[in-house]
Amino acid sequence: MRHLLLRLEPIIWLLFGQGILIGTILLTGWILVVGLGVPIGIVPADALSFERAHALGASLLGRLFLLALLVLPLWKGAHHVRSLSIDFGGVNRDPLVATLMYAIAGFGSLLAIVAVVRL
Amino acid sequence: MARPVHPHAMTPSRPGRTRTAPPQAPSGWYAQPRMLRYLLFDATGIVYLLVGFVALRVVWALGTGPERWQELQRQLANPLYVAFHALALICVVFVAVRFFSLFPKSQPAHIGPAKPPPQPLILAGLYAAWIAVTAVVVLILAGGIF
Amino acid sequence: MSEQKKTFVITRFDPDKDQAPRQQSYEVPVQPDWKVLDALNYIKDELDGSLSHRWSCRMAVCGSCGMMVNGKPSLTCKDAVADYGNRLEIAPLANFPIVRDLVVELEGFLEKLKSVKPYIVRAKERALAEGTHRQSPEQLEEFKQFSYCINCMLCYSACPVVANEPEFLGPAAIALGHRYNMDSRDQGQAQRNQVFRGEGTVFSCSYANECSEVCPKHVDPAAAVNQAKFNAVIDWLTGFVVSREGK
Repeated sequence: MRHLLLRLEPIIWLLFGQGILIGTILLTGWILVVGLGVPIGIVPADALSFERAHALGASLLGRLFLLALLVLPLWKGAHHVRSLSIDFGGVNRDPLVATLMYAIAGFGSLLAIVAVVRL
Repeated sequence: MARPVHPHAMTPSRPGRTRTAPPQAPSGWYAQPRMLRYLLFDATGIVYLLVGFVALRVVWALGTGPERWQELQRQLANPLYVAFHALALICVVFVAVRFFSLFPKSQPAHIGPAKPPPQPLILAGLYAAWIAVTAVVVLILAGGIF
Repeated sequence: MSEQKKTFVITRFDPDKDQAPRQQSYEVPVQPDWKVLDALNYIKDELDGSLSHRWSCRMAVCGSCGMMVNGKPSLTCKDAVADYGNRLEIAPLANFPIVRDLVVELEGFLEKLKSVKPYIVRAKERALAEGTHRQSPEQLEEFKQFSYCINCMLCYSACPVVANEPEFLGPAAIALGHRYNMDSRDQGQAQRNQVFRGEGTVFSCSYANECSEVCPKHVDPAAAVNQAKFNAVIDWLTGFVVSREGK
């Protein structure tokens, strides 16, 4: 398992790096409106009415945006949780933790693809 | 604080001629402010995973239909969800600031014939991109354009 | 000359007598211009000849005198006693096995250093008739900073990954390997990148940046390690396109 993880490290690091860079940049606007603006009422609710939201999300740019937004933060999250486990003495359980975290990120990524395609 | 040091840290492949004491770390090591900030940086991974899966639920609901979408909008208005997203915003800003400060020096001097821009320019570019993209995303999502 | 007494609490360990490291206090009359090393030498010369500690150049170029001073990795010949309060705790470098008192086992570090092939590797040596290698100032700038390392190992004591992952190559070794990878005279990148992606993998670095914070020579090993990650990825990608001849 450790050998497989070592071989996959470059691609995981790339996904993690973009998760921080692109994921963080995209997440900011998303959280500001979807997470806070509309629920609090600063942004009028009809900005995200089903019709408008669906039209935006199902557009080509919308799908690409959502795909990046849903996939990239998962890899940043998974890699950092693994890192945190090692920070607290978890090198022995690392093959297990790494496999679990990347499996979560991978599973989430697959669901994300389906979610975006079925819009 | 725990002593977070592996018993074989920096241990050679063959033992030396005398008995050594196992490696140790200062007792307050992880409590130092800079180390705490680093551990916090790693800990934001948990929030990123959660935010990602919440966003997945939102997009999934969008693909399901208007009733499910309205239901999810109601859930997002729950004070617990709002508090979570407020925390997520703080995490995202914290990650951005720390990462942007570390990113410029991590670019190799060249990749093939390509050279990176000077480090201050990279830093300015990162912040400019963050602000610009966020502004565009907010305008689009909040109904300002399109 | 004004004299002031400060308390030095020093980690002691004699493998023949002690089960585990213990602490011993010394009252030292310090001079205002002393470095921590001066106090340690005073203790050894005047108070307790059994104290063991490494030191050499007294001017922050040899890298011998690295120790923990009040929980922070420091070069004791560089740190002024006056910058500290009345109590100084001196311990051996963190994350290293302890040989005796303030002396740590170096061999593990030297093994990691050797493994990155820290020398110019050529596919074919230049013939004498071809003359010397030519290198422009711009080419030198690409790696010069990383050549300033004095192997003091403070970065290893600061790194949380070194503390938790015994296989990790560590800041100084990776920075030195990267120094050679970026040297225009070198042709050994493929070999070094194999080491960088092996058991000691550079990708274990979690960019805590502590190594660069403590480095007394401003080498910025964190920059080197993270540049090395990029290079290792490029090496991995081009490996799919370009076939490698042997190792």
